[in-house]
Amino acid sequence: MLSKKTTLIVIVLLAVLALIAAQCGSATPQTVTVVETVTVIETVEVVKEVEGKTVTVVETVEVVKEVEKEVVVTATPEPKEKVVLRYADKAADLGTMDPHFAAATNDRNLADMIFNGLLRYKPGDGSEIEPDLAEAMPEQEIVDGKQVWTFHLRRGVLCHPSDEVPAYELTSEDVVYSLQKSANPDRSAYAGEYDGMTVEAVDPYTVKITLDNPISPVLFFPKVSDYAGGFIVCKKAIEAMGDEGFKTHPVGTGPFMFESYSAQDKVMLTANENYFRGRPQLDGVEYRYMPELNSRELGLLSGELDVINGAAEGVWVERMNQKEGIRVDVYGVGEVATIHFNTSVEPLDNKLVRQAIAYALDRDEFLALFGEPVAANVYSQVPAQFLAGGLTKKEVDDLGLEYALDRDKAKALLAEAGYPDGFSLKMISSERESYLKNYQSMQAQLAEVGIDIEIEVVDHSSMHKLIRQDVNPIVIYVAWRPNADVYLTRFYHADSIVVTATKPDTNFSHYTGIDDLIEAARIELDADKQVEMWKQAQIQLLDEMISYPLQYQNQVTARNINVDFGHELKSVLALYPQITENTRITK
Amino acid sequence: MLRIKYLATRLVLAIPTFLAVLTLVFFVIRVIPGDPATAALGDYASKEAVEAMRERMGLNAPLYVQYFKFLGDLLQGDLGKSLITGKSINEQVKEVLPYTLELTLSAVLVGAVIGIPTGIYTAVKRNSPADYLGRVLSLAGLSVPAFYLGILIMLLFALKLDLFPAVGGGDLTDWKDNLSHLFLPSLTLGLIMTASVTRLTRSAMLNVLQEDYVRTARSKGLEERVTILRHALRAALVPIVSIIGIWTANLIADSVLTETVFARPGLGKMLVGAILQRDYTALQSVMVVYTGFIVIVNLATDLLYSIVDPRISH
Repeated sequence: MLSKKTTLIVIVLLAVLALIAAQCGSATPQTVTVVETVTVIETVEVVKEVEGKTVTVVETVEVVKEVEKEVVVTATPEPKEKVVLRYADKAADLGTMDPHFAAATNDRNLADMIFNGLLRYKPGDGSEIEPDLAEAMPEQEIVDGKQVWTFHLRRGVLCHPSDEVPAYELTSEDVVYSLQKSANPDRSAYAGEYDGMTVEAVDPYTVKITLDNPISPVLFFPKVSDYAGGFIVCKKAIEAMGDEGFKTHPVGTGPFMFESYSAQDKVMLTANENYFRGRPQLDGVEYRYMPELNSRELGLLSGELDVINGAAEGVWVERMNQKEGIRVDVYGVGEVATIHFNTSVEPLDNKLVRQAIAYALDRDEFLALFGEPVAANVYSQVPAQFLAGGLTKKEVDDLGLEYALDRDKAKALLAEAGYPDGFSLKMISSERESYLKNYQSMQAQLAEVGIDIEIEVVDHSSMHKLIRQDVNPIVIYVAWRPNADVYLTRFYHADSIVVTATKPDTNFSHYTGIDDLIEAARIELDADKQVEMWKQAQIQLLDEMISYPLQYQNQVTARNINVDFGHELKSVLALYPQITENTRITK
Repeated sequence: MLRIKYLATRLVLAIPTFLAVLTLVFFVIRVIPGDPATAALGDYASKEAVEAMRERMGLNAPLYVQYFKFLGDLLQGDLGKSLITGKSINEQVKEVLPYTLELTLSAVLVGAVIGIPTGIYTAVKRNSPADYLGRVLSLAGLSVPAFYLGILIMLLFALKLDLFPAVGGGDLTDWKDNLSHLFLPSLTLGLIMTASVTRLTRSAMLNVLQEDYVRTARSKGLEERVTILRHALRAALVPIVSIIGIWTANLIADSVLTETVFARPGLGKMLVGAILQRDYTALQSVMVVYTGFIVIVNLATDLLYSIVDPRISH
């Protein structure tokens, strides 16, 4: 038995412990003074010159001020659960996080979150370009026949801290270093885009870019925007860790910072507290690699994922949209599927044969394979829906170049060309549905006019290699290119002919008839004239039936309804919904 | 002593096996069309950019130079660096191997724990409704592909019942999280193994139960439980150990599909990624680990024989 004294001591001790526990468990409200930065409107007097006289006028301006504010806070705030967006990509693994080598969509997505450009495509709308690291859109001037663009950088933009280098302010030195890296073929996959470009630092916040051959803003801005070689890397960080290290430890200025990478599993990004547009609303992004669609779908439905890459099929979109709490976003930019004819081999070297094939094909039949809204027909090589320089259905109709389905006409043209009984062709296709479905549909449709096609299915990577070795008389290619010049140059310029050209690329048709128009449009500074030249080039391509524009295939992502990307999805050049500082998850 | 000598001989014999597999893998993957530089840079990259990348990846060096460099590095315990990401393969294997090992071992556990008792029971209750049911279920188990069963299990346990997470491998440092992520994939793999173990155990037990010594034990009035577990099962264990050994090796291969379906990190997922990206070094390295694992499993199975049945000597 305990004595009364001992009992009393125990009771007192328990009471003290309970009190301490209570103090620890509950938060004590306190009033503290904090300093906040706010933007206020002030009325100021401004001295101006009006018609040669100096006058004082009253104007209202926005002023950024620091104000003191009293707020009530708890002494021990409850730990807040981190809000991390879980994104599942269809890729098997990371390729690289060096933005100048990032070519796969999944790699570009990460680059988009970690880096900035001097300019940027407006989030969710690739048709508009706006300042990013630059304070304003640059002005151009012609000096000694060369074109000079001057950029004034934002001040106070910080490079992310890394193990090797603490956070530091980005200056013109970083911008010059970065664009020079983009121009170096050993350090960039986009070096060709920067030929004839000189970059200089005028002062820490001013960069001058000189082009040997003047080009229009439509062609220049993408080179310095947040796409491909236009991403700006941080010089000190990349020098400290080397190019190899930078691939898996990127350092930029974007809204999210690299945290960790687990091979074949995920990349973790964390919010950049010092982001110049304000701290991101998310605490981080978990970017997962999940090539299996069923797994991504189940992960989303079970609430373990927030956003996933979907299937580019109308049926899938409809089915997922019926699930409670799930929304599917279908948006551009659409990758364009085009049928290219090799004009250097028989019988496709005959214009009548190519036109016969075009008349034998039904765009709507191809379209039905993917279903709206995922896909839509295109009528010119440059998609008019997304880029300046494309031809609309009406324009093509008016010119009589639509090649609407007419199999009798197709047969008549084949007979006229000397192939009344048709002919046979062999070709390979990728195993990917976006390719194989189109090849198989073409095979079935052309059989109607006596053209027999034999298809061998190979894996996607092998297809890319083999078609560049010119094995296919007909190539179906699905691609997005950032402007009309790139589309026309890489698919139809003589310098891009596969195998035989000086810079063999993706001119599968071996066509050389629009080189002059492509080159003239490239240096045309008047935007209207430039667009007109691009259209003329495509009218020629359609008239000669060098290639048959088929359809564009939109991007499809599904998300938990609580995810708000922070912008409307119209057409995204990065081919993903874009996770920015405004993206949030509402509960 | 005899056993140590046997072990040493087997280990020495494993070296030419290793070498043959590695040589085959090294050359076969380079014959497949498509190359890492194109896979890394995508279709947008120009031919010059692809060429520059091939040079950086060391793919322009003569094949025999690449081969001997690979073997030389391997002898020093260096699996090289990923051609695509540049990350150390040793580091990658170290990260993912525990996931594959825990998956394989737990699946073996599920397969043995369910398969052996079911096999014994159906053998003892031969031609009963329970036996027929067991035979039908085990046949179904053998016929269902791992990826399909995985999706069905995910639908039931993760989506409908909301008991376990559907995707991911969980945090290895958090045992609760790790186990909850392990349950469904190991059940998937384990159930497939269960079917095979059940059938083989049943068949082995049926043979043994007809032996004279079992009849003698029963006629002496020995308790049925003791007769079956101590006398009959002991004699039937050799083929059971053998099938478990074979299945352990099989499950490592099956983990390729299971890890992909459940989006778990692991050697299988690493292998798929390496194939898709044409990452030669990663692919070679995964094959090195797989080969090593299979050699070890076979060796362990052989050694277990003599423990289970002391009459077997090496």
